[in-house]
Amino acid sequence: MRALTANRLIDGEVVFWRKGQWVERFGDAELFANDDEAGEAAEGHAKTLITVVVEPYLIDLIESEGLWAPVSYRERIRALGPSNLNHGKQVEGGAAIQALLHAHGAARSTGRVDLIKRK
Amino acid sequence: MYRYDAIDKDFLADRSAEFRGQVVRRLAGELNEEQFKPLRLRNGLYLQLHAYMLRIAIPYGAVNPTQLRKLAWISRTYDKGYGHFTTRTNLQLHWIKLADTPDILDHLASVDMHALQTSGNCIRNVSADPYAGATAEEIDDPRVWAEAIRQWSSVHPEFSWLPRKFKIAVTASPKDRTAAKTHDIGLHLKRARDGSLGFEVMVGGGLGRMPYIAQTVRQFLPATRLLSYLEAILRVYNRHGRRDNIHKARIKVLVAALGRDEFASQVEAEWEKSGTASDLPDTELARIRGAFAPKTFETLPAVSEVLEGARAKTPAFARFARNNLKPHKIAGYGIVEVSLKAIGATPGDATAEQMEVVADLAERYGQDDIRVTHEQNLVLPHVKLDDVPAVWAALDAAGLATPNMNLVSDIIACPGLDYCALANARAISVAQNIAEKFADPDLAEKVGELKIKISGCINACGHHHVGHIGILGVDKKGEEFYQLTLGGSGAEDAAVGTALGPALPYNRVADAVDTLVETYLRERHDGERFLDTFRRTGVAPFKEAVYADAD
Repeated sequence: MRALTANRLIDGEVVFWRKGQWVERFGDAELFANDDEAGEAAEGHAKTLITVVVEPYLIDLIESEGLWAPVSYRERIRALGPSNLNHGKQVEGGAAIQALLHAHGAARSTGRVDLIKRK
Repeated sequence: MYRYDAIDKDFLADRSAEFRGQVVRRLAGELNEEQFKPLRLRNGLYLQLHAYMLRIAIPYGAVNPTQLRKLAWISRTYDKGYGHFTTRTNLQLHWIKLADTPDILDHLASVDMHALQTSGNCIRNVSADPYAGATAEEIDDPRVWAEAIRQWSSVHPEFSWLPRKFKIAVTASPKDRTAAKTHDIGLHLKRARDGSLGFEVMVGGGLGRMPYIAQTVRQFLPATRLLSYLEAILRVYNRHGRRDNIHKARIKVLVAALGRDEFASQVEAEWEKSGTASDLPDTELARIRGAFAPKTFETLPAVSEVLEGARAKTPAFARFARNNLKPHKIAGYGIVEVSLKAIGATPGDATAEQMEVVADLAERYGQDDIRVTHEQNLVLPHVKLDDVPAVWAALDAAGLATPNMNLVSDIIACPGLDYCALANARAISVAQNIAEKFADPDLAEKVGELKIKISGCINACGHHHVGHIGILGVDKKGEEFYQLTLGGSGAEDAAVGTALGPALPYNRVADAVDTLVETYLRERHDGERFLDTFRRTGVAPFKEAVYADAD
């Protein structure tokens, strides 16, 4: 599975694509199957939204506790907040956050689909 | 402290207004990200993992209480109530919104502060000895010269688009607290036999992908010729620096490629050609020097009964005084190191409340003077020895009195993968794990001076190459791994560390440091620091101990 992420232009907040809009929680992100071209289509569209987000890209996901989590540690930190202080998105708690916290099997630290392919 | 004049203030107001217009155009889509990015970086604004990051310049690490309170207020109002002091003695705010930034720049300008030249291929924030004006070791006050360089290098038209970033440090003491030899230019003030002032000019140091220790290109440059000589160095660099390859664009690569002597002779030729036109006029030097006129000190006995009484009565205070109180040039005064390295805390972080405590103490007991060190701590440079117990009590109540200066838990760590878009691995939590292993202050004192420096990527913001123990986070097959180096130093005996062996996984790093320390305690001779023992024994016993465990 994959998800589409970016940083919101006005405040830099980490956001995820969900059916035509950007949401702040990874748990609310729309999931694209690896072979589903809808992922690339959403990414292509997102790249035109230059007044809304900066540098949208697809990330790879893995299963964790029956839910989905980014493969890469870097992307899990983006979805959770920094690990040194409990003051990012992780503050909210809940099953989706727990799944992110417990995910392992990290891939490339960048976690970006296209970069992984390039490597 | 140097205060901005009307021209400086107008300039900052104009820059802030200009950036406000650029933000409006970006939000309206008139500028795309590619066009906007260099503009925001020119104003110290990065986009990192979770938000924008604003890097605020603290020239030569000097702030006054009004400025520090403003930084506290900004961090509370526009960020999450804290800031991160860096190895360039700047302050980074990690949760900034683009839309707020023009207002923040206005607030900074109201106290003579800004975020200019904290990014980009220009001359960055100039650093200087944090004990300037307070230590008896110094030949002259390095802040005078650092301020002259700051003024000269601010939006210098010829040097705003260098091949790569450029960092300058100024020290005036034999004991180097600026890591001068890891800078593009390190300046060491000296006095000649005839009493005249001059600089040893060291060029081509730097860390990052290719670490180099700076080489001396001039043993004694008459101090009055400083700016023309810097100009000559920058001109040679601007002409020949490798703009074609970002990894080879720093001046260190040019100096290494040409060789020190050839580089120096090109600089001398350029210097001769340009003459004295850009040197600082004596009147201007005197004006700047006036801003750093010595404080008014009372005549006090060298030994303070109050301090000695507190030492005898309170062991915790005695430990603080042993480690965090340094000698001052004036009898009856001391230099107080404020630790931003509480056990388990993030190295270099200070909350808004902590900044306010330090500002209050500087006002009440410290002649309105505060310094930021490149080792990510704060300094109150002028405290009466009689007042040190009261200062300690206030610092202790705020979590700022950890008695660990230069000890194993006084760790440099960059923000790493927790915040930084460039990082490969975390640095902060590695530092936290190590500090917790050495939380026992008796053990830390037994180990003695030990400088651990951690970077989350090869860019080396955490100065890992020059750590007595250096730790570099790398991405190895998708996992966080850490390469350890031993025997580096950023001080006057500067050296790049030697690799210990294969990289270790995250959960083995703190144990490995523990093993290294045990090995040192076993091997050391009387009076040897970790670094001295390493230099005597070489890497073998340390390597054997760490990797024997692995089998």
